[in-house]
Amino acid sequence: MAEYAPVDLTVENQVEFELDGRRVAAPAGTMLADACYAHGVEIPIFCYEPRIGPPIGACRMCLVEVEGMRGLQTACSTPVAPDMVVRTTTDAVKEAQDGVLEVLLANHPLDCPVCDKGGECPLQDRTFKFGPGTSRYVEPKRHQPKPLNLSHRIALDRERCISCFRCVRFSQEVAQDGELTMQERGARSEITTFSGDPYRGRFSGNIIDVCPVGALTSIPYRFVSRPWDVQNTPSVCGLCPVGCNTELTVREGRTKRVTGRPEPNPAVEEGWLCDTGRWAYDASWSQARITAAVVREATGDRTATLEDAVDGAAALLRGRTAGILVGTAATVEEAGIAADLAGGALPGAVVARMGIPGGALAPLRALPGAQLGDVDDADLVVVAGGDPSAQQPVAELRLRKARRFGATVTGCGPRPHALEALGTFIRTAPGDLAAGVASLAEAIAAATRPVVMWDEADLAGEPAAAEALAAAIAANPAARQLELGAEVNGSGLRALGLPDAGAVLDAVRAGTVDALLLVHADPLDAPGRAAWDAALEGFAGPVIAIASHADATTERADLVLPALTMWEQEGTLVSMNGRVQRLRPGARGPEGAAAGWELLVALAHRLGVVPGYRTAAAAFRAVTAGRPAFAGITPEAAGVLGVPLAAPAQVAGASAPPPASGEGVPLVATRTVYGGAAARRSAALADTAAPAELRMAPDTAAAHWVNDGDRVVLRSSSGESGRLTVRVGDGLPEGVVFAPLGAPGSPTEGVLPADMAPVLVRVARVEAG
Amino acid sequence: MSIQDQLKGFGITFRTMLSKPLTLGYPERKTPVFPRFRGRHRLWTYDNGLEKCVGCSLCVAACPADCIRVVAEENTPQLRVSAGERFARIYEINMARCIFCGYCEVACPFDAITLEHSYELSERDRRELVYTKDMLLAPAPKQAPLRAEGQRV
Ligand code: SF4
Ligand code: SF4
Ligand code: FES
Repeated sequence: MAEYAPVDLTVENQVEFELDGRRVAAPAGTMLADACYAHGVEIPIFCYEPRIGPPIGACRMCLVEVEGMRGLQTACSTPVAPDMVVRTTTDAVKEAQDGVLEVLLANHPLDCPVCDKGGECPLQDRTFKFGPGTSRYVEPKRHQPKPLNLSHRIALDRERCISCFRCVRFSQEVAQDGELTMQERGARSEITTFSGDPYRGRFSGNIIDVCPVGALTSIPYRFVSRPWDVQNTPSVCGLCPVGCNTELTVREGRTKRVTGRPEPNPAVEEGWLCDTGRWAYDASWSQARITAAVVREATGDRTATLEDAVDGAAALLRGRTAGILVGTAATVEEAGIAADLAGGALPGAVVARMGIPGGALAPLRALPGAQLGDVDDADLVVVAGGDPSAQQPVAELRLRKARRFGATVTGCGPRPHALEALGTFIRTAPGDLAAGVASLAEAIAAATRPVVMWDEADLAGEPAAAEALAAAIAANPAARQLELGAEVNGSGLRALGLPDAGAVLDAVRAGTVDALLLVHADPLDAPGRAAWDAALEGFAGPVIAIASHADATTERADLVLPALTMWEQEGTLVSMNGRVQRLRPGARGPEGAAAGWELLVALAHRLGVVPGYRTAAAAFRAVTAGRPAFAGITPEAAGVLGVPLAAPAQVAGASAPPPASGEGVPLVATRTVYGGAAARRSAALADTAAPAELRMAPDTAAAHWVNDGDRVVLRSSSGESGRLTVRVGDGLPEGVVFAPLGAPGSPTEGVLPADMAPVLVRVARVEAG
Repeated sequence: MSIQDQLKGFGITFRTMLSKPLTLGYPERKTPVFPRFRGRHRLWTYDNGLEKCVGCSLCVAACPADCIRVVAEENTPQLRVSAGERFARIYEINMARCIFCGYCEVACPFDAITLEHSYELSERDRRELVYTKDMLLAPAPKQAPLRAEGQRV
């Protein structure tokens, strides 16, 4: 169980001690509770949660007898010592356990039948296993109005709280959002935010997972099902490139909940999820979900059965040369099968991937890579560019943990961000990341185990900085790099050797393709969309989209095939730093939809070429065969915890973008996961959705003749943005403007080139605020 | 077959013709049941009309035939259905699968469900054997007679 820290019983120099009459050994420094668990003795715990930090001994549940020590000892905070004699089943221990549980339950409402934790509750389980069975308390219990909304997504039932402090410690030490605290004393203690306002945090949902009782429960999951009504499926989150390992709770064919795994993946997320990954699942039945195939005809749209729609798609594609564009959230299978079509069913098709070309990143990617878990034992963590807390949320928790463990955190980049408080950060001018990198080189060289996190989008736009950073890392043989990717399955698509979207765009412009097949691709909502808008304007051939949600691109398509989402389908995703992990189907998905890979296989059949695979696993084997990055990797090898790619996912023949030219002010764009595109499709996260705002410092605003609240559009050499609202903020650097990617209607994407090269924009006011 | 065998056979016929029949003339007459007979389920309400069931699904967990389905929802001031925090929006028992073991009754912490005496549960379509909450809240349309103390049938 996750609640105990994993203990490695194979390392050298273990400490021997006696446990209930047995001679056992554990590494020095291991807490007794963990050592006992590793040797098959369960010591009941409540407050101890090694992932949160050092033990605090708040609940006294873990008392054991240690010979020679006066009184009983808390096993969660007593490290093993040589020849210690530990007894866990004596009368004294039993009496202590009975006593602690009796007191913990003295004020507990015992309303397990209506409690969402019931059936998966450590308090229930341990009371059953270690408790006295009866209580001597006959006095009336303390009662509180219930439930209280700790936030829009978390319900707090104060009667059930056992004051273990896990949630408070998560907030204070892991997320470090400083929001939660314990108020009052004794029976009146209660969890609350300092201000009494709703809990605001990007990781708030984790307190539901760590609460050992039903005091903190998820509001979207409130009373939705009981643990015996559901199936739990280990899967991964496909909302950002971190690739956190999740567990899907499925009831009656629908994903009803997403939680951290009970057996966390120490190499990736360690059991923590960001709130987006935890609550965005209701997007799978949101308004924008495509539940039936759409055929656009001159007379209007009509829906079609899946069979007819695939027949229709085959008819539209037959005899044509297709351009196939694979979106960044497509699985390895979908991308691979799409690429396969070019070899058989759609001869001569041009297949490409969306996302950053990244030709300049080759030297960085070739360096030894680290997993997120390796950040824990780094002595120096460098963040080059980017804004991990916005773009790769759970990486933030890893950085904070490294800092807690004593690592030095430093970095550089053009954005002010939440992690800058962890160390010295150098604010670089947009387009001048190289200067920041130069000043970090010395620290990297001097460190013993440095991990350098670098932002894909930022460094792809600045080849000089990428080169300098690669040199700085290479100079220290102990240094490892960790890519902070921009796209969900960017690495997977690169590892398959797909060229960047430019290949298809050029073919569309040149007229060498006369049909377009989009596989989870959204060129009209992505950076570079202005170019695609123009190219598709004059494109006469059919556009066929395989998509799960309606967006600007499916609006333009002539035929839309409804696809399953990441909560419903099988597949493989490769995380930003090259970890191959499997999606497992939880929910069934709408009646009229099918998995993207199945649609592609069906299409190949209709076009008269029978592919050599019928299952996702077989497709994975077939499409990754001969790819060095996937050498030796099978779905079985990826297992539940995933495996790193065999070789870095390099790009084939992409060139570096030119430096920004023209006139205007530099624009820094950030793709925010929290409140981003997923949040807008999810009812549970609706209140977090980030508005389309252009942020700038006061003098910059004055220089562009705009005020706070004005509505503006941006123009660059790549195109024009949608409307953004000006927000003037102190603490922002002058001479640069900031805008989010993924805002409603994708306004910012309009001014950016597809290769995310730095741009200069002119700000034009269209409406005074 | 000899004439003797035939006489022997008819002898039995005549003898039993005159004795009291063992069968009961169902459906005009019904077998009375013991007080603890486990038949069709019933969901109960309190005197104030609130349902006793809080939709906790413990009956679902206890059911060895997996024939109960409960989908719960939260009581609101506008819609208060049960006495607890939650209520069963859907409560279904598939009588075709039920084995009348009574475990649901044992599992229920609120005495919300009991197995009653009615045993006439046949339908022309098996889909009609999925009893909904409304059906279970109402008394059984066909009641069975209760066996009196010491009564023999
Ligand atoms: S709310 Fe839960 S996690 Fe927080 S102190 Fe109470 S019991 Fe512990
Ligand atoms: S950090 Fe990314 S992968 Fe992890 S839960 Fe959040 S969105 Fe999903
Ligand atoms: S688990 Fe040891 S004191 Fe709480």
